[in-house]
Amino acid sequence: MKHRGTIVFAAGVLTALGAGWAGFPRVIYQTHQQPVDFSHQIHADKAGSKCDDCHAFRADGTFAGVPSLDKCSGCHAAAMGSTVAEKNFIDRYVTPQREPAWLVYARQPENVYFSHITHVKRGNLKCEKCHGNQGTSNTLPPFQQDRISGYSRDIWGHAGRPAMTMDACVACHRQSHLEHSCLDCHK
Amino acid sequence: MKNSRRDIFKFAGGAVAGALFTPAPWRLITDAALWSENWPGIPRPARGEIRARFTNCALCPAGCAVRARCVGEQPVSLAGVRGGLCPFGLTAHHLPYHPARLKQGPIEEASAAVAKRAADGIAVLDLNPGRTVSWTYRRAMALLKGRYLAPESQAVAYDLSAAKTVLSIGAPLLDGWGTPANVIAARRNFRLIQAEAVESRTAVLADEWIPLAPGTERAFAQQILGALQGGRPSVLASELAGNGPSLVIGDAPEIPEINRLLGAWGKIVVAPQEAPVPDSWTRSAAAITLLADVPDHSIHVLLIDESAAASYIPWHRIQPKLANENPLVVTFAATRGGYARHAKYALPIAVYPELTDDIAPAVDSIHPTFRISVPLVTPPAGLANPAEFVGALAGATASNALRERADEIHKAGLGTVLTYADAKETPVKELTPDAFWKALTEGGEWTQKGARRILSQAPGKSIDPAVRPETAIDLPLIAIREPGNPALVSPLMTKLYQESNLRLAPNRVALHPDDARAANLTNGARAILQTRAGKCSVEVTVDPAVPPGAVLVGSSPGIQDVCAPGVRAKVVSA
Repeated sequence: MKHRGTIVFAAGVLTALGAGWAGFPRVIYQTHQQPVDFSHQIHADKAGSKCDDCHAFRADGTFAGVPSLDKCSGCHAAAMGSTVAEKNFIDRYVTPQREPAWLVYARQPENVYFSHITHVKRGNLKCEKCHGNQGTSNTLPPFQQDRISGYSRDIWGHAGRPAMTMDACVACHRQSHLEHSCLDCHK
Repeated sequence: MKNSRRDIFKFAGGAVAGALFTPAPWRLITDAALWSENWPGIPRPARGEIRARFTNCALCPAGCAVRARCVGEQPVSLAGVRGGLCPFGLTAHHLPYHPARLKQGPIEEASAAVAKRAADGIAVLDLNPGRTVSWTYRRAMALLKGRYLAPESQAVAYDLSAAKTVLSIGAPLLDGWGTPANVIAARRNFRLIQAEAVESRTAVLADEWIPLAPGTERAFAQQILGALQGGRPSVLASELAGNGPSLVIGDAPEIPEINRLLGAWGKIVVAPQEAPVPDSWTRSAAAITLLADVPDHSIHVLLIDESAAASYIPWHRIQPKLANENPLVVTFAATRGGYARHAKYALPIAVYPELTDDIAPAVDSIHPTFRISVPLVTPPAGLANPAEFVGALAGATASNALRERADEIHKAGLGTVLTYADAKETPVKELTPDAFWKALTEGGEWTQKGARRILSQAPGKSIDPAVRPETAIDLPLIAIREPGNPALVSPLMTKLYQESNLRLAPNRVALHPDDARAANLTNGARAILQTRAGKCSVEVTVDPAVPPGAVLVGSSPGIQDVCAPGVRAKVVSA
């Protein structure tokens, strides 16, 4: 056959593209479900919660991150709805006073220092700028953990969420003319 | 249809080409790099609630107040409380994990060896005098009939806030000279004139930089002194006299007299003061002896305390004082880089922020102060405590000396204690001894403001009538030294300051391109630095900012052993 060589080569290309784009992510990322099927949307719409009601700053300016069980128990001492997710939350965590082991999509390496209060209060950045539209989601996306590095897939920007890599930080700082030194983040 | 070997290769080639257009290879490269960042042994701060703890930085006599953000017991970042910290202080929480750190040493063997020979002639060399442990050494040496040796101490303290014009002759005023917070706070109120051979960081930030020919700092000081004494007029001397109060700082012996003539004496230049010391200590302490005053070959056992060393004495000045036969040298050090190279026993010590020690007054500390470096990290087992080691030789207990000193300060009932957590100043007389001690050990500073001791006359430093520069045709360069670094610097900071050319690496020298060309040296070349005192192996940086005829040297003990600022030197290819 005249084009046999080209066809074989193209088959190799297509196989690699398929494996690389479809198969590789399934192999490299391990998918974990969050301990609680939490809806940001319900909390924002029905309870009128704002981001900083739960993801608050402490009195000393440090960021509390994911709220502790105490914060949830303040409203959910008993079930407030009839969903299975809420029943599970009450039974598994609130009643036995067990902290849910939340998986943090934005977890950065240990050698990175990041001040939320500086970016939110002084830089006037909206939460969505880095975390995407997490606050309007109805379910928490699965946590995809890289099997080799251990980091969340979201760090590199995924499924419409912005990247949270050093390059992304540097690009934003450069755009805002706020380039300082390595020690700003790597203390 | 049968597949040939050629088909397999074509398919594989296509697969490789296709793979390059998928995330797989790039992801694997990044992942491999990230995986390598998480190897075992890398310090990993615990996650959890962050709380603040306070201490005082013990890396240099500035003793800056430190706020440490800690997760559990682990400090994860350090910051200044009143003003900033220097870059070394900012990264000091890395020091306990420094790869070059000494962690083991034969403490008991060294103790037995010293005890056996102490009666022959023992001395302690304290490179950071003015601390409470310095008194322990002095008391122990009095009991053992030994000598307490210290570098020439600072005879004066400077109140920069009272100066309107400051002339710095080669002093790194804005680069580690005093307490950063004090210097920066006072900086806006004075005009700074920096006179030195290289455009240092202080020169860059000064209002005026006067470039001097290398090695002419002393002649420059003499010229100003001559003008102030009515000799040949000088524009600079007139400016200093007319825009006072003026202060001149630097190493030239003419400077105290210049300051006296400028009227700085008593206004800006005052006597350094020490926090109260128990009478029983002062009564039973050995005198402070300068190394130069010790007879040659008279020391049989030398103990060297290198912890937070404020200065370095070249080994060629120490060696002649040691006994000819089998002298025993024991050093308390954090690394093998200093006197450990010459010592029989190098005993590991705690490093800041594991250290419990008070901090000697800084050069710009005009009031008596007492600050304790409180440990933020528990030191590992197997470290030597220099105070207890020396105290035990004399049969004295030293473990409670800091508390005894604090009680003495409290007994005097003077001054106030500033607690960093709430920025509150409380008069000492309103506190119980326990509350005073608690305030000091939770991050605080005792100060007796207003207790300003005026010097009646300039300290007697003999001034040679004429400058007699060392001349040597075979040593064509004049050494200029960079400001010193602490003995132990965070590896992160070492990497940053060397890559950004902020400081030379400890074993590096920098030459002007013309001098490098003349010596047939290129950037990064291995070379030998030679002076009258000896030679050492260095690496060369070629830098047009170094003036021709000069060699800018780093601050490693190896270089300091052979090369002091202003000496003639030569750099030759290794």
